[in-house]
Amino acid sequence: MESEEDMLDARSATSDDGFYPNNDDECDSDRMSMGYRYEEEDDDDGMDGDEDAYEDDFLQYGSDEDALHSGRPSYTGRQQLPYTVLTEEAITERQDAAIESVASVLSISRAQACLILRKHEWCVSRVNEEWFADESRVRNCVGLIEKSIKPSMTGQRDIREIKCGICLEYHRIETMQACCCDHYFCQSCWRAYAHTAICDGPGCLSLRCPNPDCNAAVGDELILKLVLEEDKRKYRHYITRSYVEENRRAKWCPAPGCEYAIEFTPGGDIQDVTCNCGHNFCWNCSEEAHRPVECVTVERWILKNSAESENMNWILANSKPCPKCKRPIEKNLGCMHITCTPPCKFEFCWLCLGAWSEHGERTGGFYACNRYEAEKKEGKHDETERRREMAKNSLERYTHYYERWASNEQSKAKALSDLKQLQITQLEKLSDKHSLPMSQLKFLVEAWLQIVECRRVLKWTYAYGYYLPENEATKKQFFEYLQGQAETALERLHQCAEKEVKAHLDGDASNVTFTDFRTKLAGLTSVTKNYFQRLVDAFENGLAEVKDSTAVNTTVQASVKGKCSRSKASSSRSNNASRVVDDEGHWYCRHCTFANTGCSTTCSMCHLETMI
Amino acid sequence: MSSSSPKGLSRIAANRLHKELKEWQMNPPAGFKHKVSDNLQRWIVEVNGAPNTLYENETYYLQVDFPENYPMEAPQVIFTHNPPLHPHIYSNGHICLDILYDSWSPAMTVSSICISILSMLSSSTEKARPVDNDRYVRNCRNGKSPKETRWWFHDDKV
Ligand SMILES: [Zn+2]
Ligand SMILES: [Zn+2]
Ligand SMILES: [Zn+2]
Ligand SMILES: [Zn+2]
Ligand SMILES: [Zn+2]
Ligand SMILES: [Zn+2]
Ligand SMILES: [Zn+2]
Ligand SMILES: [Zn+2]
Repeated sequence: MESEEDMLDARSATSDDGFYPNNDDECDSDRMSMGYRYEEEDDDDGMDGDEDAYEDDFLQYGSDEDALHSGRPSYTGRQQLPYTVLTEEAITERQDAAIESVASVLSISRAQACLILRKHEWCVSRVNEEWFADESRVRNCVGLIEKSIKPSMTGQRDIREIKCGICLEYHRIETMQACCCDHYFCQSCWRAYAHTAICDGPGCLSLRCPNPDCNAAVGDELILKLVLEEDKRKYRHYITRSYVEENRRAKWCPAPGCEYAIEFTPGGDIQDVTCNCGHNFCWNCSEEAHRPVECVTVERWILKNSAESENMNWILANSKPCPKCKRPIEKNLGCMHITCTPPCKFEFCWLCLGAWSEHGERTGGFYACNRYEAEKKEGKHDETERRREMAKNSLERYTHYYERWASNEQSKAKALSDLKQLQITQLEKLSDKHSLPMSQLKFLVEAWLQIVECRRVLKWTYAYGYYLPENEATKKQFFEYLQGQAETALERLHQCAEKEVKAHLDGDASNVTFTDFRTKLAGLTSVTKNYFQRLVDAFENGLAEVKDSTAVNTTVQASVKGKCSRSKASSSRSNNASRVVDDEGHWYCRHCTFANTGCSTTCSMCHLETMI
Repeated sequence: MSSSSPKGLSRIAANRLHKELKEWQMNPPAGFKHKVSDNLQRWIVEVNGAPNTLYENETYYLQVDFPENYPMEAPQVIFTHNPPLHPHIYSNGHICLDILYDSWSPAMTVSSICISILSMLSSSTEKARPVDNDRYVRNCRNGKSPKETRWWFHDDKV
């Protein structure tokens, strides 16, 4: 018995430590070193690396941006991202490198290499593989035919003149052009041919010889030599875009106006992507990042919102047309006596839509419409009324989730703009005011990043909640419990960040209170992060209730049952180790570092029980 | 079946059509007659069914309308009057033939179009309308051009 319990304790204690990593001291030193590294990298990014260093710089840059914008602060730490954010210039560089490599390995022209790459998703290894497996198949599919030496002399009039198959005029051979076949056309016909194709769109990238029986591809060298400046620009743009659009490993960032592309690193495990513009999206469905909720749920929810926004159901449930002017009338009081809004002012009965003047004694008094009751008996109102009632119930349910989904979206947007504000002006101001190095203010950025991330997660859990079947009661209860906890923590964090930063900016709070504020905010950040981590983990386990005996799950399960959380032995033991009481009798919460007064066993900040 | 093409031919288009017409007159495709008119932008071409085919001894008329930037853009080609009964020819005269739409190339000519149409007729094994004839024709009311149709092409052979 004894040994078994010990083992259990040991395990809970370790998991505990893993779960609540914020020992204050450790955290401080970590933050400082993080800050230092961070600045150093900033310098690195400032210098434009030479070509060789480019790749590395780029990755570092990406991760920095990640830390700053992603709203996904360090769940996974600073790992190499499974994707790269590409600018148009970066795409062109990659294309050039690929063309160079293919051209030299296959001993073909750059234009031919470009054609082949476009047909093979810009993947050099795929090109090499397929070319060396079956060169003629690749040539055939791309339309590269080996050029015969002489142009065909059919239709010749003079040895030096041949007829252009488009304008049907004779031209001197040296003024004419052919792609990789021997079908010569005059320059102006070529130009018109290429222009027409370019105007038709990116299909111009697979332009073939005008001769209907010829499969030869028209390469960029020919097109760029012939067409006018404007067409050249368009054509080059299509080539750049083809790197993303004809490539399953790449995607454009879906944020409106954003011109970055995201390229997925082969072998990586890609889920959510953070573009350099700050937009966070799901690689799979391109919607805004919605981890831990699945793509299908998001898709359904978005569809639902667009359908609901047409308001048909809402109108059906809450309004009827005025029988006189036909404008929709919304009933918001209990009384059945409706007066239409001016200028109509028609008074009518909500139930039967008859004029109110006909109501009264004859219809059973003002509070009951016998006409309606009678008609209802005849089945006249039944169907419409039943539909209205059903729509109303399902609508109320939808409205409940929608409001919460939308308000978290709003809060997230607000938090993002607050974060920007903080980074643009407030950090500097605070740094001056409290004579602190910027690195010491990183906790503020971290708090806001956490808020943004949590708002995002919370938002999507409401979409999930809407689709959670009513009959899965335990799941629902578990989910709502976790969601509630996470939400409460987040509200506290958000409020603290919003209100108290302001106080420290505007008022002349001292350095001492600023340190307190810092401790509190960092604590709330970490607590909130833990709650959300728990929520996300639970989702990723399909909200399956606890089977294993890790401390995390034990805690949750115990709390769900409304009993005291945490196993006795583990908490008292770890408490003994980490509990700090200062001279004024404050005890610092192990989880959120809040300085509690009194001898309550629950932290008044994070409400986690830390003392038994 | 109004094919309103309000814009006249470009200089290039007119030049090319003059040349095509001249070549046609010197060397007309077998089975076709160009009905002389002074309208360069609309040709009416008489089609005679080839011997030993389902359309032997039958005469049809093609109406060919040229766009402003012909030959970069395909002409609109339809049968007028009584279109031949053929699985790729609709009762309103529209023809389901890829070279008239997606596969058009400026190196093609009226003459090469005519040859393709005759070969399409000659290889037919039954005189019937396309299965979707009624639906298609209904959708084409108000003089919609076949070039506005998003064609998916019937099997190449017949
Ligand atoms: Zn020409
Ligand atoms: Zn050719
Ligand atoms: Zn972006
Ligand atoms: Zn998704
Ligand atoms: Zn009214
Ligand atoms: Zn009534
Ligand atoms: Zn009434
Ligand atoms: Zn606490």
